[in-house]
Amino acid sequence: MTSKQTHTPRDCDEFQRKLPDLFDSDQDLLDHAHLQTCRNCSALVRDLEYIAAQAKLLLPIHDPSPAVWDNIQNALAKQPKGGDRNS
Amino acid sequence: MTKNTLRTAEKMPSPTPSQPLTAEPRPVQQQQRRNPPIAGELAAIASAQQGDGASFEILYNMHKRRVYSLCLRMLGNVAEAEDLTQEAFLQLHRKIATFRGDSAFSTWLHRMAVNVVLMHLRKKGLPLVSLEETLEPSQEDGPRKDFGTRDLTLSGSIDRVTLERAVEELPPGYRMVFVLHDVEGYEHNEIAGMLQCSIGNSKSQLHKARMRLRNLLREDTIGKGDA
Repeated sequence: MTSKQTHTPRDCDEFQRKLPDLFDSDQDLLDHAHLQTCRNCSALVRDLEYIAAQAKLLLPIHDPSPAVWDNIQNALAKQPKGGDRNS
Repeated sequence: MTKNTLRTAEKMPSPTPSQPLTAEPRPVQQQQRRNPPIAGELAAIASAQQGDGASFEILYNMHKRRVYSLCLRMLGNVAEAEDLTQEAFLQLHRKIATFRGDSAFSTWLHRMAVNVVLMHLRKKGLPLVSLEETLEPSQEDGPRKDFGTRDLTLSGSIDRVTLERAVEELPPGYRMVFVLHDVEGYEHNEIAGMLQCSIGNSKSQLHKARMRLRNLLREDTIGKGDA
């Protein structure tokens, strides 16, 4: 991207203030007019999109200790039969 | 809740608060992307609904990791996460007969687990969305025009372990919205319903969470580069 300095710091402020809504819109943010000339905001958007994409790949990697199932079994053994079956 | 006394409160980050889930369900396609069907699950559900304990145990083993990871990411505390995993499955046992299959079972169960965590945090009197984080965003979370002399971008540079660790470092309110939206795939309107905040607030908290993560990850990347 060519980095012609056609934007002002105020443009960056304004763009970044709108970012939470822009991220939630369907438009491709990298097509935004401000990003055509602003290297810093482009880098910011790329990073935030990257973080969001990586977060979707986070797998459940932790297992509860065996004590959790033991406690569930103990609690169920003390419960009256039936539960919320009619709810 | 039966207290799990076997574990000490290994501290990850600190917790945040919550409430009931009333938002609209997500599209089936999105639910299936996040919660694909598991082989044998339908049969286990049907049997568990008839009160079969062995089938309930199968369901526990199918879903324990995901439910526990969700609790742990939301709470940042091992002992509390285990207690609430336990509570979520006890609630599942009480309510499984009411499951009608309108959504994926895992979606239904995870929603129940989120609700258990949020109710727990409410009972503790913690604000769902931290006032400090809402009213006084720190400078580092605000707009920035200058990223310093080292103009790195993160793309391709972070692994999942690093990201997981950075998420643990987020303030509780930021972490809650980030986990619900970016990791678990809930929409802002759903999160707003869960946390009793506005959709705008949910978007704002998510943005601040990502900004904070970016700073943490950049520090990590720069640190590795300097090492």
